[in-house]
Amino acid sequence: MAQQEANSHNLKLHRLWLCAGSFFIGLGDGMHNSMIRNAIKLGDGHISVQAKGYLEAPANYKFIEDGASLLADLEHLDLPAFLAPRISLQVLASSANNSVGVAFEGIASEQDPRMKDILDKLIEGDEDIFESKRGVIIGEKLSRKLKVKVGGKIVLMAGKQGGDSQAQLARVQGIYKSGIDELDSYFVIGNLELASLFLEGEGADTNLMPLTRVAVFLDDEKKLKEILPIIDKHLSANESFNELTALDWKTMMPQLVQFVMVDDAGNYIFLILILIMVAVGVVNTVLMSVLERTREFGLLRALGINRFHLMILVFFETLMLSLMSVGIGWLISGPIHLWFSHAGLDLSAMMGDNTQMAGTYMDTIVYTELSIRRILQLTIIIFTVTLITGIYPAIKAGRVTPIEALRT
Amino acid sequence: MALLRLENIGKRYLQGDSELWALKDVNLSVNEGEFAALVGPSGSGKTTLLNIIGGLDTPTTGKAYLNDLCISDLSEAELSDFRLMQLGFVFQSYNLVPVLSALENVELVMVLQGMSESERRERAEHYLDLVGLNAEKHRRPSDMSGGQQQRVAVARALVTDPSLILADEPTANLDSENAFALLDIMHRLSHEQKTTFIFSTHDMRVMQRAERIITLRDGQIVSDEQQ
Repeated sequence: MAQQEANSHNLKLHRLWLCAGSFFIGLGDGMHNSMIRNAIKLGDGHISVQAKGYLEAPANYKFIEDGASLLADLEHLDLPAFLAPRISLQVLASSANNSVGVAFEGIASEQDPRMKDILDKLIEGDEDIFESKRGVIIGEKLSRKLKVKVGGKIVLMAGKQGGDSQAQLARVQGIYKSGIDELDSYFVIGNLELASLFLEGEGADTNLMPLTRVAVFLDDEKKLKEILPIIDKHLSANESFNELTALDWKTMMPQLVQFVMVDDAGNYIFLILILIMVAVGVVNTVLMSVLERTREFGLLRALGINRFHLMILVFFETLMLSLMSVGIGWLISGPIHLWFSHAGLDLSAMMGDNTQMAGTYMDTIVYTELSIRRILQLTIIIFTVTLITGIYPAIKAGRVTPIEALRT
Repeated sequence: MALLRLENIGKRYLQGDSELWALKDVNLSVNEGEFAALVGPSGSGKTTLLNIIGGLDTPTTGKAYLNDLCISDLSEAELSDFRLMQLGFVFQSYNLVPVLSALENVELVMVLQGMSESERRERAEHYLDLVGLNAEKHRRPSDMSGGQQQRVAVARALVTDPSLILADEPTANLDSENAFALLDIMHRLSHEQKTTFIFSTHDMRVMQRAERIITLRDGQIVSDEQQ
């Protein structure tokens, strides 16, 4: 009886471990997805249409000459997405006090997701960079490096393909603080018109709206695999866009993909450790229950059940136990997930302002996320492991000999 | 024709370098419907002989036949089937499944035989009635006396109409009153059902109820008497 209580206690413990495991996987997925969404928002969208070779070696002269036609063409495809024309440049930002190498991002409107996100993080000045051609927004760390405040002037200077340099004057309109070092100390956001002046210096016709990329922000990120080939096919089919390519965010941000993979591997190692504990626990529970019932099994053997049927019987018992554990595990963890997927888990006390990771940032409130695929994956893994653990006790039960068992 | 035939049965155990013959040259015939007792002191080979007859153990020498079927030649799986279909067992310590009720314990062998639920329920109730326990059919072994548990075990052994019922010291854990009551039931059912019983005992009072007494000593049959 005491052993039965211990076994029942063990099983409750296993279910709790499984709940904890699936919860942490869900939390991990939530964190990753939050990071990915932010990276896409602050970065170059789900898909970036840009010149071939730009990713490998970005240079100001590798621009899209006829951005207006490209935009019109992409809009004509009627994709469920927002199209953000952009000019990304490598420039030297100089103030009266200092010079720093920065990325100058020219955007077309406040509707650009990157701009929308940055506006939320504005700590000084205003966002109205579209009223004044030369207005820019810079990060808080960059403003400290350049020792420049709102209203201050900076000079943006870029090298030309021929070896000359060109410069444009800009005025700091606002200062933002995203909490991400790379953004705060490196990104200057300005008007597409100002940025296009640099491309003009590279030989671009500003009337054609030269761009370095069109960032495509999908309404539904799950449609990435469906839409990327459509754009790719369209670019290949059109002779004027032969030199352009469409890249997904995974290609654009390999370091983030790698980070997520490594972190996922960590989560899986954690899950494997939990599964090992659960497997040992289940083996122990089932084995104890087999040993406890050696006499009963001996009796069944004496009465005429054969080894194979006895093994199947014990294995079936483990199968039931697994189904019950997985079912109860999800019944417990399901509502927990549901709760945290809506209310979120506030990690601000733990993380403070430092939410940057792998070149992006994580929201301080993390919402657990478990896709159907992940639920199926976890269910199959847990179920299979638990089932495998039933093999040894079943073999052990099959080895019971009636004479010896009935003597116990 | 004999139901059970044993020819030169011997059973040897190895204990280190030495060997011990638990049974030696045992020859025996038991006819259908007999109510026979295997008697002898502890260590005389009664249980070993019952185990060999029941296909729970294999003889070192000789052959055992039941209805001309050579038990000693059967494979392990065939022995399981043989026990399931041809034999009934009653053990010294009842050996009922503790989590099952009396009725379910009696049904157990029929479940293994694949009998339909309605048929096995009907048969189980009938045999519990025969051993006087129908009123207790829903009780678990832990809620029953030793005598009652052994009567359930007898009902379980009888319920499939086996050719032979083997009972190893069925009364050893019972007081005299219960022991005699159980033997009376076994004896009565042996006659009513035409079932062959072979039971082992070393209790003089119990063996007096047997119709045939086979005495074993040092692994050999020393006497075989009809009463």
